Amino acid sequence: MSEILDLLRYSFVQRALIAGSLISICASILGVILVLKHYSLIGHGLSEIGFASLSIAAALKISAIYITAPAVIVAAFIIMFVSERFKTAGDIAIAVASSAALALGVIISSLSGSASNMSSYLFGSVLALSESDLIFAVILAVIIILAFVIFYNRLFLISYNEDYARSLGINITYYQALISILTAFIIVTGMRIMGTLLISGVIILPAVSAKNLASGFQSLVIYSAIISFIAFIAGLTLSFALNIPAGAAVILANTIILILVKVFIK
Amino acid sequence: MTERLNLSNALIKYGDKTLLNDVSLKANSGEMIFITGINGAGKSTLIKAMAGLIALSSGEININGRISYVPQVEEADRDFPAKVIEIVLTGTQRPGKIFYSRHDKQLAIRSMRELKISDLSKRKINTLSGGQLKRVFIARALCGEPDILLLDEPCAGLDSESHDILFTLLRKKISEGCLILMVTHDDSDFEYIPEARVITLSGGRII
Ligand SMILES: Nc1ncnc2c1ncn2[C@@H]1O[C@H](COP(=O)(O)OP(=O)(O)OP(=O)(O)O)[C@@H](O)[C@H]1O
Ligand SMILES: [Mg+2]
Repeated sequence: MSEILDLLRYSFVQRALIAGSLISICASILGVILVLKHYSLIGHGLSEIGFASLSIAAALKISAIYITAPAVIVAAFIIMFVSERFKTAGDIAIAVASSAALALGVIISSLSGSASNMSSYLFGSVLALSESDLIFAVILAVIIILAFVIFYNRLFLISYNEDYARSLGINITYYQALISILTAFIIVTGMRIMGTLLISGVIILPAVSAKNLASGFQSLVIYSAIISFIAFIAGLTLSFALNIPAGAAVILANTIILILVKVFIK
Repeated sequence: MTERLNLSNALIKYGDKTLLNDVSLKANSGEMIFITGINGAGKSTLIKAMAGLIALSSGEININGRISYVPQVEEADRDFPAKVIEIVLTGTQRPGKIFYSRHDKQLAIRSMRELKISDLSKRKINTLSGGQLKRVFIARALCGEPDILLLDEPCAGLDSESHDILFTLLRKKISEGCLILMVTHDDSDFEYIPEARVITLSGGRII
């Protein structure tokens, strides 16, 4: 234990701790909306598109953020639009787009000789966090939490019943766009540390656990954030102790929490 | 007296089916209109068009004022983790206003009291009975201080006491200048508001 506490002296560990906690908390707050709106698959689809764009950025030797952020945001809009227009086709569209993107990413990584980075893209790496990643994570966290506080009542209404919001004259497209953009940003930021394959679990799992505990929307958001934070700290500790990838350890911690909640509550 | 609603030659097509056919209707503040007709006649379609949920294929719709709506079927997840008070308060939302004022909260509390659901205010919606939930949706609509109330079979599932309470509240709303359009299958409802107009739909037309 004291060895793990000793690690806190290293700046990359501090960065991982701060950025990872913020990302976990923000991801789980957005996850509440995605779970309630049955958009759980979107995170998964977007993260695989994120992986493809990371591979392209590596092949072209340009900074990843310039490619992944726009690619994931555009994809988020397309997916939301498709699932809105063709109600049933949404999950199929996501499944097709995400597996195609994953395949594309693998091919590009292999051809461009950056395949050695592939596993760090797929499963994340706490060592990969730079100073600017940390700053980006802090800014993103501030934006997401502010957006949530400011638009809380609207997000509640739209998650509950879009038609009712429309009947009140509220333009829900703005809010769908807001949710898409924030989800895209969380994925782009979070996939460095958690991995492209695992970030969607960090978004969804805490909200699913919290749903079993919450008595209302507000408590759902709060429980989701707390669970996500605990799972991240537990996962990061586990990842240092066992020398396993942080993203996988965080998902493991989240899964254990979910099982405990299911078994002991109700 | 203000004109609140003007529908002219409204047509709604879905594929090759015509759900609403050449419907024209004008209504003013302080009026009550009952809408009747057999199942599938187009009553809900007409209400949804007025609520802005279905676009007209042709024709024109002019709405002047704030709308509150009680749907025939709530298009939401019954297991949504929300408390009654959280749902009722959403009725006070409107474009350009993102926080609830103290006045909004008072309106929500008052309309819950009027519908006798004050004691349910902290309950999760998935623990309510069908009729209790219906009263929650009516309370949500009433607390929005509407100029136009659209009620799609609000009495379905209500016990006789709640039914009487609803009509007392509606009469009050009418006297305050609210325009009310209400879908019903029960002709005896007309007696509660003798001055009301009754329109009957058949195959998407007013007959
Ligand atoms: N989403 C939809 N897609 C296709 N047709 C629809 C849809 N909704 C309703 N319809 C059709 O439109 C017609 C009118 O439906 P509507 O719901 O307006 O009837 P209604 O008068 O409210 O009936 P009820 O008394 O059963 O509530 C019906 O023939 C129905 O089958
Ligand atoms: Mg109907």
